[in-house]
Amino acid sequence: MSNDAIRNDESVVVAKGLSKHFGDFVAVDNFNLEVKAGSIVSLLGPNGAGKTTIVRMLATLSEPTSGSATVCGYDVVRDADAVRGVVSLTGQFAALEDNLTAQENLLLMARLRGYPKGSATRIVEGLIDRFDIGEFRDKLVKSVSGGQRRRVDLAASLVVQPKVLMLDEPTTGLDPRSRQVVWSTIRELVQAGVTLFLTTQYLEEADALADHIVLIDHGRVVAAGTPSELKSQIGDQRVDVVGVDASAVVLIVDALSATFQVVVDHNRRTVSVPAPHDLADLAAVTSALSGVGAHIDEIALRRPTLDDAFLALTGQVPESYENEPAMKEVTP
Amino acid sequence: MTMTLASMTRPGDEPLPRRPGSLRRFLRETGLLIVRGLQTIPRVPQRLSDVTIQPLVFTLLFLYVFGSAIHIKGMSYQNYLLPGLLGQSLAFGVIGAGVATATDFNTGVIDRFRSLPVTRLSVISSQVIGQILEQILGIVIVAGMGLALGWRPHMSPFGFVEFLLLMLLGLSAFTWFGVLLGMIVKSSDAMQGIGFAIVFPLSFLAGTFVPIAGMKLIPRTIGDWDPLSALVASVRHVTQGTNTTGSWQLAHPVVSMIFWCFLIIAVCVPLALRRFMNSN
Repeated sequence: MSNDAIRNDESVVVAKGLSKHFGDFVAVDNFNLEVKAGSIVSLLGPNGAGKTTIVRMLATLSEPTSGSATVCGYDVVRDADAVRGVVSLTGQFAALEDNLTAQENLLLMARLRGYPKGSATRIVEGLIDRFDIGEFRDKLVKSVSGGQRRRVDLAASLVVQPKVLMLDEPTTGLDPRSRQVVWSTIRELVQAGVTLFLTTQYLEEADALADHIVLIDHGRVVAAGTPSELKSQIGDQRVDVVGVDASAVVLIVDALSATFQVVVDHNRRTVSVPAPHDLADLAAVTSALSGVGAHIDEIALRRPTLDDAFLALTGQVPESYENEPAMKEVTP
Repeated sequence: MTMTLASMTRPGDEPLPRRPGSLRRFLRETGLLIVRGLQTIPRVPQRLSDVTIQPLVFTLLFLYVFGSAIHIKGMSYQNYLLPGLLGQSLAFGVIGAGVATATDFNTGVIDRFRSLPVTRLSVISSQVIGQILEQILGIVIVAGMGLALGWRPHMSPFGFVEFLLLMLLGLSAFTWFGVLLGMIVKSSDAMQGIGFAIVFPLSFLAGTFVPIAGMKLIPRTIGDWDPLSALVASVRHVTQGTNTTGSWQLAHPVVSMIFWCFLIIAVCVPLALRRFMNSN
């Protein structure tokens, strides 16, 4: 499939044949991308796929070995300073000065962006309100929680209204609640007209936030498209039946295997049945199960997840929240 | 995040001031970043231990413990030791600057600054100047302690100015060297280890505590050509008027010290700048 993920008249970020080599190691290989104004594009891939390297090249922190990229029409190498003027980067590790307070960090960022003290202070007060930083504004950043730190970090990227906000793994290592807060902030920002370029190794995150997803692995684009396009690439929807325990699963399989082609996932106590006919299939499954006496937790019509897409397209399962039970209720 | 965006004053509403000329911009940004470094000092006072407690311990240890067994012909041990300790303080600045730089690179703070429309030169200059200011604090502490314990420098006003200039040159050279090392090593723990492994022995072989001339062949040979020996001998020459015998560089310590400093600066500054401007 084509690497040119997005086509639009107003392309804010354009990368053409972007490559980065570290010695013999090819971190990024011939990466192409167009990001249209006001959209959220997510770069999705496992650890080490080259996501951070791409962000660093686009944010002028690292020079491409070959290829080129522009942000708002400025070349990331030749007009690096102009690019820095329109981009805000929030790096992977919440890069703040640990030994300054939240307020001092924000003030420093505003001053470095060129604001005199008075307007810098006004901007910082606005950000402190907007990101709910008030209760820990005078705490040293090293002593606040991970979620609070991330909020300061995001705020620090927004002392100016950037044309493009680049977020490198904004929720890695955050607890579910903080993750939700970051997500809602991101959605608000996009409503306010910011173009967002986001990397993540979480499928749920890309699925929940992005208009367009670029799947990368080993420095190469594996697939690109909207979340539903990617999902549709790997097949149809299905009905999932979740039993309350192992014996219920056995009963469900017995009841369904006569009429349907079933797939059983014992770990999740889930029996899956292909459902090309939507509700008709759901109804058929329900009636086949009635009177069997199996205790059922859940019956649902589902589209394939990005997990399935990733597995189908790259042959490997990426990081996911699956092993974090606490995440279940916030999984979209 | 209870408020909605629409209800807020957005940053974009504040007009971004016109960019001043490049020199003013550079000075402003450098100033902001130096202040940022200084602001953190009261929060982590232990970070200053290598320019405060450590020299104090060395001074007391050598003056009153080892010093009782060391006799220098023609001068009090205070007058021998203090110039040596001042030289050693400069040399330890390599470690301080390296660790601070490695830490900043590690936490991503430097990357954040580099991603801003800020002149990159100001980021690295502030790093160097901030470190130099910290080292000056250490040197003042050592000198003050020395004076209180009986160090008696003999300097004309001209000699004092020469002493200050020499110290400043040494500080600049060693700090740049430290910043470069910190950027290469990238881990503050490793920087601490490597720094001590290099600077510690070299500073002991440099005639800091005992004359090089009395050492055995191998340490004496190293000491004769150790750049830190030129540093220590030059401080001793300027503050006490004493001449050190031995290799050519020890006989001409001030010239040698200036040579070493300029050599270090000529090598380290371009390398550090290049690494900083387009590091990966």
